[in-house]
This record gives sequence, structure tokens and C-alpha cells, in this order.
Amino acid sequence: MTHYAMVIDLNTCVGCNACMAACALENQTPVWDEHKWRTYVHDNEIGFGEDTHRRFFPRLCNHCDNPPCMTVCPTGATTKQPNGIVKVDQNLCMGCRACAMACPYHARVDVTYADVRRGRDFYGSDYRRRRPSVDKCSFCDHRVAKGQEPACVETCVGSARLFGDLDEPRDPVARMVASGVARPLLPHIGTRPSVYYIDDLRWRG
Amino acid sequence: MDVTMTYATQGIWTWWIAIYLYFGGLGAATLAVTFLTDMYLKPHRKLVLWGAGSGVVLLALGSLMLFTHLLDHRAVIHILNPLVLINQPTAWIAWGTQFIIWMMAWGVLYALPYVSETPALQRLPVIRQLLAQRLVRGIAGLVARHRKLVGWLAVINGVGVAVYTGLLLQSFPGVALWANPGVPLLFTVSAFSTAMAFLLLLMYTVIRDAADDVIRGLYERIDLVLIASKLVILASLFFYLQRGSESAMRSWELLWTDLGWLIGFIGFGLLVPFFLELRGVITGWATRMPIIAASVFGLTGGYLLRHYFMYAGVYAYPW
Amino acid sequence: MGWSLPRLSRRAFLKTTGYGTAGLSLLSPAGGFVGQAVGRDQVIEEVTYNICNFCSSLCNLKVTTHNRNGDKRIVKVDGNPHSTLNRGKLCARGQAGLRQTYDNDRIKTPLIRVEGSRRGEYAFRAATWEEAWDYIAKKTQEREIKPWEWTMVGGWTSCVFYMNWAVPFAMANEVPNIIASPMQHCVTTGHLGTDLVTGNFNIHDEILPDFDNAKYILFVANNASIGGVSTCRMVRFAQGRKNGAKVVALDPRCSETAAKADEWIRIRPGTDLAFMLALLRTLMTDNLYDAQFVERHTNLPFLLTRDEQGEWRLVTDDEGRPMVVADGTNDLHALPAFHHDNRRDIAGQTIVPALRAPQGLTVDGRPVATVFQAQLDEIAECTPEWAAEITGVPAETIARIAREFGTTRPAIVDPGWHGARFGNVLMLRRVQAMVQTLTGGIDSIGGWINSGEVHHKAAHMYQAYEKGKEIAAPMADLAGMHFAKMVIDAVSNGDNFSHGRPGWTWAWNAQEKAAGRFNVALPVMTDTGLRESVEGQVLWQGEPYLTRALVINAANPVRHYYPDTYWKETLSHENMDLVVLVDVLPSDTAPYADVILPNSTYLERSEPTVYGNGVNHDLAVTTRYAAIDPLYDTEEIADILLRLTEIISGNTDKFLDWVEMLTGLEAGPVKAVHARTRETHERGAFTAACREVSINQTAARIGTTPQRLDMVLRERGIYLEEDKHEVLSHWSMPRLMPVPTPSGRLEFYSGLLRSLRDAGHAEPNFNVLATYIPAECRVGLTMSDPLPPDEFYFTYGKSPTVSHGSTNSNNPVLWAINQFKDEIYKGVWIHPERAERLGIEHGDRIWLTNTKSGQRTDGRAYVTRLVHRDALFIYSSFGVENKALSRTHGEGTATSRLIPYQVEPVVAGFRSQEFTIKVAKA
Ligand SMILES: Nc1nc2c(c(=O)[nH]1)N[C@H]1C(S)=C(S)[C@@H](COP(=O)(O)OP(=O)(O)OC[C@H]3O[C@@H](n4cnc5c(=O)[nH]c(N)nc54)[C@H](O)[C@@H]3O)O[C@H]1N2
Ligand SMILES: Nc1nc2c(c(=O)[nH]1)N[C@H]1C(S)=C(S)[C@@H](COP(=O)(O)OP(=O)(O)OC[C@H]3O[C@@H](n4cnc5c(=O)[nH]c(N)nc54)[C@H](O)[C@@H]3O)O[C@H]1N2
Ligand code: SF4
Ligand code: SF4
Ligand code: SF4
Ligand code: SF4
Ligand code: SF4
Ligand SMILES: [Mo]
Repeated sequence: MTHYAMVIDLNTCVGCNACMAACALENQTPVWDEHKWRTYVHDNEIGFGEDTHRRFFPRLCNHCDNPPCMTVCPTGATTKQPNGIVKVDQNLCMGCRACAMACPYHARVDVTYADVRRGRDFYGSDYRRRRPSVDKCSFCDHRVAKGQEPACVETCVGSARLFGDLDEPRDPVARMVASGVARPLLPHIGTRPSVYYIDDLRWRG
Repeated sequence: MDVTMTYATQGIWTWWIAIYLYFGGLGAATLAVTFLTDMYLKPHRKLVLWGAGSGVVLLALGSLMLFTHLLDHRAVIHILNPLVLINQPTAWIAWGTQFIIWMMAWGVLYALPYVSETPALQRLPVIRQLLAQRLVRGIAGLVARHRKLVGWLAVINGVGVAVYTGLLLQSFPGVALWANPGVPLLFTVSAFSTAMAFLLLLMYTVIRDAADDVIRGLYERIDLVLIASKLVILASLFFYLQRGSESAMRSWELLWTDLGWLIGFIGFGLLVPFFLELRGVITGWATRMPIIAASVFGLTGGYLLRHYFMYAGVYAYPW
Repeated sequence: MGWSLPRLSRRAFLKTTGYGTAGLSLLSPAGGFVGQAVGRDQVIEEVTYNICNFCSSLCNLKVTTHNRNGDKRIVKVDGNPHSTLNRGKLCARGQAGLRQTYDNDRIKTPLIRVEGSRRGEYAFRAATWEEAWDYIAKKTQEREIKPWEWTMVGGWTSCVFYMNWAVPFAMANEVPNIIASPMQHCVTTGHLGTDLVTGNFNIHDEILPDFDNAKYILFVANNASIGGVSTCRMVRFAQGRKNGAKVVALDPRCSETAAKADEWIRIRPGTDLAFMLALLRTLMTDNLYDAQFVERHTNLPFLLTRDEQGEWRLVTDDEGRPMVVADGTNDLHALPAFHHDNRRDIAGQTIVPALRAPQGLTVDGRPVATVFQAQLDEIAECTPEWAAEITGVPAETIARIAREFGTTRPAIVDPGWHGARFGNVLMLRRVQAMVQTLTGGIDSIGGWINSGEVHHKAAHMYQAYEKGKEIAAPMADLAGMHFAKMVIDAVSNGDNFSHGRPGWTWAWNAQEKAAGRFNVALPVMTDTGLRESVEGQVLWQGEPYLTRALVINAANPVRHYYPDTYWKETLSHENMDLVVLVDVLPSDTAPYADVILPNSTYLERSEPTVYGNGVNHDLAVTTRYAAIDPLYDTEEIADILLRLTEIISGNTDKFLDWVEMLTGLEAGPVKAVHARTRETHERGAFTAACREVSINQTAARIGTTPQRLDMVLRERGIYLEEDKHEVLSHWSMPRLMPVPTPSGRLEFYSGLLRSLRDAGHAEPNFNVLATYIPAECRVGLTMSDPLPPDEFYFTYGKSPTVSHGSTNSNNPVLWAINQFKDEIYKGVWIHPERAERLGIEHGDRIWLTNTKSGQRTDGRAYVTRLVHRDALFIYSSFGVENKALSRTHGEGTATSRLIPYQVEPVVAGFRSQEFTIKVAKA
């Protein structure tokens, strides 16, 4: 079996936003609305007084193993593939946004009728979307199927995003996860994310 | 990991969902209560017609709210198909939609014999034509013979709808305010409480039959119990949130520092009707106005509860 | 609903520990699997290779197109996976680049100013190319614009990709005037400092530090050059960091790069030189240097003596060869004037040159000292304590970092990239190069490594010199400072032109010098004197040396020169008869043009030649292949220059000859092919001809066939000649061959500055050894004098998503990212303690007033502890005014509205931060 996962190493993310741009163009997201991305890189000031840090925090759908977005989805548009990827089928989705409410990671965005019209104009004859729906990161399953890395991973100038297979013990990603150095977000909620983070603050000072 | 937390309320499901949940709960509970009253307390044509009628209308309005806010209206077809329960058994919206559809269907059927006995309705053109049809008349006869079966089917679906409104919110694990077992309880109790208020309002205004005083008294008593239960559930929510997770504490802060929630909902939506009804039950009121007021307050409180619940759900994001 | 709860959006910092370990259970998915079954039209996917055009990191690109029902579109741009330069990765600008081609604001046809409108108004009518050419020709004739009255203004694109046409264009048409926008900001101001030591001089940086293998990395005023972003550097830096390198960053604000450092040193702006001098001094006094390396390969052991005026001069033998003293002796030895190794004297004797001459050593009766001793003496007072006072960084920290740096190997201090900012930056970068040299980390693993191309050029230049051969094609074959000297000679010497005039900037600075006023020693491709030339103040043999026509290509001086009014007024001046602008998008300079000529975008272009692979350590060639046909009626640069030649001098043959003379591209074959391509190409015929010949010639040089070269470039985008290890194994500089300085050694004592001093330039900027030059932000006050509550130092830097003051802030994808990060990217960073005292809150509109020049503009406060208390910071990417850039106009604060005209005396580098700003709530 394959279980795709991503490790994000906060130690080498420089907040360059290349992943956001790559994802947008690869997945034809509604870039005309600055709130609608499949992935975001936050730029936060953390710490106190002189002990201040600037942290870049990339986030995306966590491809949860126990995805609340899927359990609440009435149409069956959200599904979990055997390889761990949580997908949305634009043809089935009616856009009730229960999934967006259920997702603890703010991973879902609306693609409206207006967005689809803009998209046809913006992406031209290559526009792949046909219907409005809720959208989110797909782990670039169309690329992964061809043996490529997700667009954001491939271009990540800090090699902060790493993609791999948790079921392949020699995979560096699997090893980072198994060793506990890479950890998921909000594990107490029980979503069992497939996206893991390597902390950056422990390295400093 | 040391994290930066961002606390955010959502702007996805807002007042229109509050209305959907409110109308859903209110309509369904009203229908269920009237049918139960009709089946076990006293056959009551008017009550059934009002109950079924407002139930169906409220649910239709609520559903319309949801429908208009869908991103892709065409795809709604996937949840209208009853097979959705087999395909998506974990999705409360699937259950809810089916409950709503079937509650409306059984509700209309249950009321059908009464409709054909009601001259006022028979004067309405569409209804007249429908009732003239053999099939419809046949069905009405069939329903009359299996009144309790049909009634129970409607009631079960109605209760389903009321419970569903809470279960739906409970299924969103990121928000502590919603994802706890108190919520379905609170919403169910509230649905029935608002239904009581609604029916009392009806029975003090449009269905003013002195013979129904027993029913009124019963409803008032039931409502008292329901409001009391709500207070208990709220109290437990209060403590659960106050010392809860990041999400819970922020919701607590939002709710218990907000005058709309404290005075509007808890004060006027719960305590005032409670005491008005309590006095009504214990010593009685000289006029009907206090109970009418209690009902209006109760109904408003029901909406406020849902409104605040939607807006005060806090996501605690670790970035 | 009239009311709703206030939306909560609040942040807090939590320290939570012990997130449970990552238990993984593979839940089998519930719910039905819904297959994807969408019937689609047939899509034909194609891949072509290209080079990014958004910064001079020159990343190699893989461009994917989809052809659906005959409509071929570029759908994705990725890093070329075959490229060892950018390792298959691209920054946000590179990723989003394809939307430049599809930007609906593009210039789609030639544009001619609407009759009756004035420069400054964006009022143009669409025209055909013939109309545009006629317009230019008519104006040129009517107004009798002479060749020397033309000036070319070029951005980095024009330098990097079209220098081989631009310089011959200047020579053939006898237009000695070129302003190149990277020079005063970056190439001469910053790199020249490095180059004085290393001898390099490439158009856009030449050294790629080997971060992958470094153990200690020190960044001094770096950000866009690393993490913010130069992809080839960032990918290496990230690996270095993953490998555990310790990283220290000096920056008054927490830049993207500083955010990745183990230590972010909040240094006071403008004081880095003090920090670096203290570091240099510590390395020298504490013997924390690679003694073997510096003895052999630098001029540190060379002997110096002071002349009557107290000026340092090299001690030389009769033939002008440098002298050293052998270690442990008093024996003097002369060394070859140009060589890479000091271990062999002119007699062939093997010696160990001393870094410290014995006490009391004299030559011809004069006391002498080694460069090492003289340098140390020059900075004797530059202790960590001294630097602490100036920089605001504790002395212990400076001393510790100096020791760590000196004792960790390999260590890198990044050379730095953008210069400008302060009059002392050239010296700063020079000291950085000296510090790096002391570690021995030049052309070595984990140190600075010259590009494959620099090695290759230098090696061939030396071979030619050795054989006593004339350099055949100087622009192609001269390396480093040798190349710089050639270019300077070409335009500063009027004898190269039949009209006898040097460039006006040279005339102007000579004139000012003669008058005893401030002047610039090497105003290479600068704008000093432009305004004066337009106004008629520059004189040539008593006559005004006027500038009356400009051709601006891929440059946007109104936005990225200082101040904006200088250019607006100059461009609108009544003496200015003609302004021709070549661009792809309507920049802020476009409203000041008379004619706008649209260039194809980089993804629509097949370039006129084959290029080296930027700063890559590997030796490789690359080029662009057009991914699609041009969408609009656009033209190529080489063709535009050819056509302009017809108009200015009519001498197109001479143009081709100059191309051949300077670059080696043979005129005969180009002409022959051009005759053919003219028939097949409506546009770009000349470009296509040059390309064909270039591919033939490159193939011959590499030793392959044109077909094969073309095929490899088509299939991989890169033709690898030699990898880094091979390159270093035979061309390592200075271990195996000289560096391209005048002496072949890494130079602490600068011969070039010596000659400039001798020519009368006495400012400390011309010091032959490293020395301290204070920044002067307030007249008569030092940088450590306290600032009034409302006064701040000014700092700026590039945002990761925009190039310079370029038009790509209008790119819809980058625009959206910039919106998403609106406050951070477009705000004015101010420290909360300072803001509070001024009653300024996050998001408040504030006034910024330059205390020196009085320039005033506004901004929005971004209150953050990530900036030095004494400083304001803005990203220098915004402030577009032209509404024709429909998305970006009106956003942010433009640096060119705050920065006055202030340059330093060596190369007219902008002193773009040498002032203070008063802040007030609007
Ligand atoms: N405000 C501000 N000014 C700066 C800087 C900054 O960061 N901010 N940085 C400074 C530095 S370090 C440098 S090197 C210089 C660089 O300055 P320049 O080399 O001039 O670079 P850009 O500003 O990127 O681009 C200038 C113009 O080139 C146009 N252009 C883009 N692609 C093409 C093309 O394919 N063909 C043609 N013909 N035109 C094209 C753009 O539309 C833009 O108008 O700027 C300096 N000035
Ligand atoms: N995104 C992006 N990347 C680019 C380019 C681009 O246009 N956009 N252009 C390329 C080019 S041509 C160049 S020249 C390079 C420029 O690369 P850099 O020189 O690294 O560029 P900047 O971002 O201008 O400045 C770097 C840092 O200097 C800091 N700084 C300002 N004043 C001082 C000071 O007094 N002392 C210290 N220690 N730090 C100070 C700023 O806060 C900023 O973080 O970038 C290249 N890469
Ligand atoms: S992150 Fe959100 S959208 Fe993604 S799988 Fe988990 S719950 Fe679903
Ligand atoms: S919005 Fe679409 S994917 Fe999300 S729950 Fe509704 S139907 Fe499912
Ligand atoms: S995996 Fe693909 S879809 Fe997901 S964030 Fe990365 S690029 Fe976007
Ligand atoms: S591309 Fe990589 S380094 Fe850049 S912001 Fe995204 S995750 Fe961070
Ligand atoms: S660093 Fe970015 S903008 Fe510069 S060449 Fe590379 S991809 Fe292009
Ligand atoms: Mo630059």
C-alpha cells in the first residue's frame, strides 16, 4: 500500500510563496480572489521582547486519515483514496460547505459560479474546471499519478516541503514521521493528518 | 511544537444556516407535537392542519435557505436520492435531507384526511382539484385507516429533523462549542420548546377554543420542563467551555461577555418565558397576554440560540 | 440581519509541549470511490526550455504548453530538472512568470503619443511598426539629432541578454552613452567592492557560494540575494542549513533570510562596515586565517612604503614587479607582476613570502611594511568595542562571531549583492571579500566558487595572453576586471568615435573635477550628468553636449532610480526631442515616452544567441526556445537595434562588423542567413539569423555539431560542458591560475584605487587599503548619536514576490500573494515602542519626510518588533503610479519618492539610505 504524506520543515521555509504560486497555476485556483488558495504561507511574528522570531508557516489540506470533511459530506464528493489522498469531485459536490465547517485546518475554499466564469477567461482553453464546488489541495494527485512530486514540493526553494510514502520504511518522509521529529497539527482532534511539521524554534538560541 | 494560535470565527455558515436550523427544528417539532396530540390526546383537526402546514412551510423555507446558498444547485440531486443514506451514512446532511423530505411527505399525508374535511381549504383552487382526484381520495382513505402508522412515520422523521440540527453541528470537530454531546440535546430540547411556544401562540391567537385549555396547560407544563432542561444544559456548557480547549475558552469568552447572548437569549429567551409560564402554571394569568409574550420571547430566543451558536464557534488554528 | 457578533480574529503565542507522538493508523477509507470520468478534448502537451527573466539569477525553466483544438497555451513554468543551477526549482516570480505573457495590460502594438498630449500623460494611440519607425526617423531627421545626442538606457535584461548587440550598437552608431540600471544600484556599487579583491566583473554577479558544504555562514545585508529569493543560492543555503551550518545574519530587520538564521543580529543601518572591520581585524590579530593560502595567493605579503605625501605605494623592482620579503629573513624577492602564486620569485627560486616584514626593514632607505601589516595598522583601532559603539551590537557578540567565523571551516561570508544604500557599501563588500579570502575559501568546497563561465573565460584569456595573441572578441573573451576596463575605455575615450566625444557622463565628471567640485571617478554607465546634459550644462569644447533622445529598453527609471522627479523632469524637458521606450508592460516610465515599442515576452522568444549558465559552478550553455508564437504584434531586441541603426547612422554593416569585432559572431554568415530569414520571418528575422550562426559557432567551440547542440538544448535546456569538479580541477583560481585582477592575486592593496588616488580622488572611498568610512545620515552627527523620537533611519529591501521596481507587481498571481500579505509587504515597518510614542497604531496612515531633501510621501504603518528600533523598513517593490498597470497601481510606498539624488564618488553608487526620515501620523 501507499500512503502519501508531506513533511514541512519549518527550519528551511523562507516564506518565498513559490509554493502558493506553483499550486495556483498548476491547479488553476481562483487567484483573482486573494483569499482562495489551496495552500497558504503565513508570515508570523512570534516570541516576546527581544526574543522575537519571524516564522513562515505553510499550510494546506492535511489529508487526514480520519477526515471529518469526508464524514460530513452528504453527496459523496469528498472521498479518501486508498493512497491516503482526500479528494473532492467537482461533479458531485453541491457546495454545501459542511466540509469547510468540519475541517479544523481551514483547508477548503469556495469556487463559485462567478469564479468558474472568470476561470474560463483567465486560464483560457486549458481550464479544467466545469462546475463550481468546494475546492482544496489534492496533493496534486494528477502529478503523483505520473510519478511527479506535487507542484509546491517540486518548486520549494527551501526544500521545506517533502513528499513521500509513509508505508515505505526507507522513505525519508516516513522516517522523519516515525522518529517523531515531524509532528502533525492538532492531533488531539483525532483527524490523523498526513501532513507533518518539523519545529524550528528548538534549533535556535 | 511551539505554535502561534490564530483564533477565528467562521463566515461560511452564518445567519442563513441559523434560520435553516431554527425553522427546521421548530417546524419539525411543531409537526410532531401536533400529531402526537392528535393521536393520543384529542383528535384536533385545526391543530393538525396548523401543525402540518407550518411544519411543511417552515421546513421548505429553511431548506430554501440552504439551497440558495449552495455553490452548485444542480448537484443537490445527489442528496435527494434516498440511496444517499447507504452511500453517505455518516453525513448528517444526508439524513437531515431525507428526514425533511419524508417528514413533509408523511406530514402532508397525515393531514390529508383533515384537509378534505376542511371547507376553507377546499375552496382553494389547486387543493380542490387535487382532492377531486381519485388517487388522492384513495390515499386519504388509506391514511385514515392507518392513521397512527402514518402519524408515527411523520413524528419519527420530525424528531429526526430536530435532533439532526444538533448532530450536524456536533460533527464539526474543530469547534468545541459545537462538537460536544450537549449540542444535539440542546437543539432538540430547544426545538421542542420553541414548538411549544409556537403552538401556545397559535392556541392563544388563531385557535382560540376554550375546550383546548387542557392542551394549553399541558404545553405550558412541558415547556417549563424543556426550558428548565435548557438551563441545565447551558449551565453544563458554561463549565465545559470555560475550562475547555483553546477553542472552547474563546467561545466561552465570546458568548458570556455578549449582552445579546446574556440578556437577549438567556434573559428574554429563557428566564422571562420560564417565569411567565411558571406563574401561569402555578397561579394562572388573568389575561392571555403574558403567555403570548412568553411564547414570542421563547421563539425569539430559539433563533438567538442558533444565531449565536453559528457565530461564536471558534476555530483555533495552530499558525 | 442587522447585527452579528464581532468576528473574532486574534492571535496569541502559546508554548505547548508534548504533542503526542505521531501514531498512525491506516483507516481504510469509508465512502464510495468515485472515479474520474470526464470526457475532454484531446490535449497535446509539449515541453520547451527557457530562462527566467525576472532576475539575474537566470534560472533554467521548463515550459509546458497545452494545445487544445489548435489553441496553444503556456500552462506551467517549472524549474528545469536538468539544471544544476536552480535544481529544478523556481521562486514565486519564476512560477508566476507565464502570467506576464498573458497579462491583459501588456503592450500589444507599437504606441505613438497622441497629438497634443504631454509627456507624463499615458495618452497613446495604437500604431503599426512602420508608423512607429517612420515617427522615430522623422523626428530624428527633423530635429537633426546627432548620434552622440542619443542615450541608451537599459535594465538588467538588456545587459544580460543583449549586451552583445547593445555595445556594438553604441560603437557602430557612435552613441557613447549608456545608462544601465543595475550599475549604480548594484553591479558597480556592490560587486565592484568584491571585484577589487577577486578581480571578477561580470554583468550580474559571478560568485555562487558553496553553501551546501559550508559550516558557518555569515550574511551581511542580504536577503533577496538568498532567501528572498535567488533560487540558485537559496537551494544551496537550505541544504547547508539542513546539514547543520551555523547561520548569522546582519540586518536591521528580520528579513526572510534572517528568519532562517540561528542568530539575527539587529545591526544599526549603515554600520556593517564597522562590524566587518572588527571581524577582519580579529582574524588578522588572532591569526585566524589560512596562512598558506594568503601567503601564496594574495598580495598581503607585498611590500609597501609611504611616499612623500604619506601615500602607500607598492615597493617594486625596476620593471615594476612587486617585492616581498622571504619569511624569517631580510631577503627581498621580486615576484612576477601577473601570477597566481607568490611561492616562486622572478628568478625561479621557491620562497615563503612573509606576511609580516621584520621590524625596521627598509628598502632604498625607506621603511617598508607588508600589505598585511599596513592593513592591520590601518584598522588598528577597529576593535569589537569600537564597533559595538557604532553598530549597537554588543562587543562580546562581535568578538564571539569573529572567533566562531575564524575557527570554523569552511566558512562563508556571502559577498552581498545589491550595493547602493550607503557611500561605504563598496568598501563594505570589499572587506567581506577580504574576510573570505583570509579563510582561504575562494574557489574551494564550502567557500566562494566562481562560475564555470568566469573560469572558462579567464582560462582562455590567459592562454591568449601567454601566446601573446590579440583578444579576438573582447566581449566574449575578456574576463573580470579586464572586461570592465575594456568597456570603460570604449565609452570614456572620445578617440573611439569620429565625433571625438566620450560619453556625457565622462565629460560632465571631468568638467566638475576641473572645477574642483564633487565628481565621480568611474561613472560607468551611470546617470550622473544626464540632467545637466539635457539642460545644456555639459560642455564639450565649449559647446553644449546635449542629450536629446533616449532609447529606454527594459528599464523603468522613474520607479527604480532616485528620485522619481529627476527622471520625470528630465524626460519632460523641452530639450528632449524624442523618447523611445521598449517594454512589455506599461511601466511608470512609459507615460514619459513618445513611442513605445512592444517587445515579445521571454516565453515567446528564441534568443539571438546561446548563453553561459549564469553563476553555475558547472560549465554549461543554455538558451531560450519560444514556447508559443508571440501573442501580439511584438518585436525582438536585436531587430529593434538593427532598425534603429538604420535610422541613426544608416550603417547596418558597421553594426554587424562591431558585433563580430566585440563578440565574435561572424558578420558574413549572419548577413547570409538574414537574407533568408527575412523571407520567412515577419518579425525577429535578424534575431533568428544571429541565433542560427551563434548555434553553429558555439557548436564548433564545444566540439559538437549544431544539430546535436540544438537537439540537446531542445531536449534538456542545458548543454553541460564540464561539471564543477572538473572545472576546479584545472581552472581553480587562484590555486591553479591567476584571478582576473591586475596582479593575478587576490588584492587587499588595490592598484585600481591607487591609480584613482593618483588621478586626484582623495576621499576615503578610494583608500588603497580597507578603512572605515562612516555613513552620514545626518550632517555632522554620527550613527550612534541618539535620534529624536520621530526620526528614523531608512531601510528597504526587495519582496520575495516582486522584481525591483519592475512591472511584475502587476502579475495577477503575484498580485494576489501580495494582497494576501498586504500589511507586511506594503506597510512601513516600525517598532512598537517607537510607534507608541508617536501614537501610531497598526494600519495607520503615516507621513514620511526626508530630513535631508524634504521629500515627502505617505504609507501605512506595520507595527512589528521585527525591525530595529532606530529604523523604518519598506519593501522596495511597490508604489506604481501608472493606471495602465491595472492591478498594482496605487499600492504601497515608492522608494523613489523618498530617496534623493545622492551618489558616492567612486562609481556614483546611490547613497539611497543615507538620510533620516521623520514620521508623523497622517
Ligand atoms: N524601487 C526599486 N528600485 C530598484 C530596486 C528595487 O528593489 N526597488 N533594485 C535596484 C537593483 S538591485 C537593480 S539590479 C535595478 C534593476 O532594474 P532593471 O534592470 O531596470 O529591472 P526591472 O525593474 O526588473 O525591469 C525594468 C523594466 O523591464 C521591463 N521588462 C521586463 N521584461 C522585459 C522584456 O522581456 N523585455 C523588455 N523590453 N522589457 C522587459 C519591465 O516591464 C520593467 O519596466 O533596480 C534598482 N532599483
Ligand atoms: N525577490 C527578488 N529577488 C531578487 C531580485 C528582485 O528584484 N526581487 N533582484 C536580484 C538582484 S538584481 C539583486 S541586486 C539582489 C539583491 O539582493 P539583496 O542585496 O540581498 O537585496 P535586498 O532585498 O535589497 O536587501 C537585503 C537586505 O538588506 C537589509 N538592509 C538594509 N539596510 C541595511 C543595512 O544598513 N545593514 C544591513 N546589514 N542590512 C541592511 C534589508 O533589510 C534587506 O533585508 O536580489 C536578486 N534577487
Ligand atoms: S485537512 Fe480538512 S479538508 Fe483536509 S482532509 Fe483534513 S479535514 Fe479534510
Ligand atoms: S461542499 Fe461539497 S464536498 Fe463539501 S460537504 Fe458539501 S458536497 Fe461535500
Ligand atoms: S500538493 Fe498540489 S494541490 Fe496541494 S498545496 Fe501542493 S501544489 Fe497545491
Ligand atoms: S516554496 Fe518552500 S520555502 Fe517557499 S514559502 Fe513555500 S514552503 Fe516555504
Ligand atoms: S530566482 Fe526567481 S526570478 Fe530569479 S531567475 Fe530564478 S525563478 Fe526567476
Ligand atoms: Mo540588482
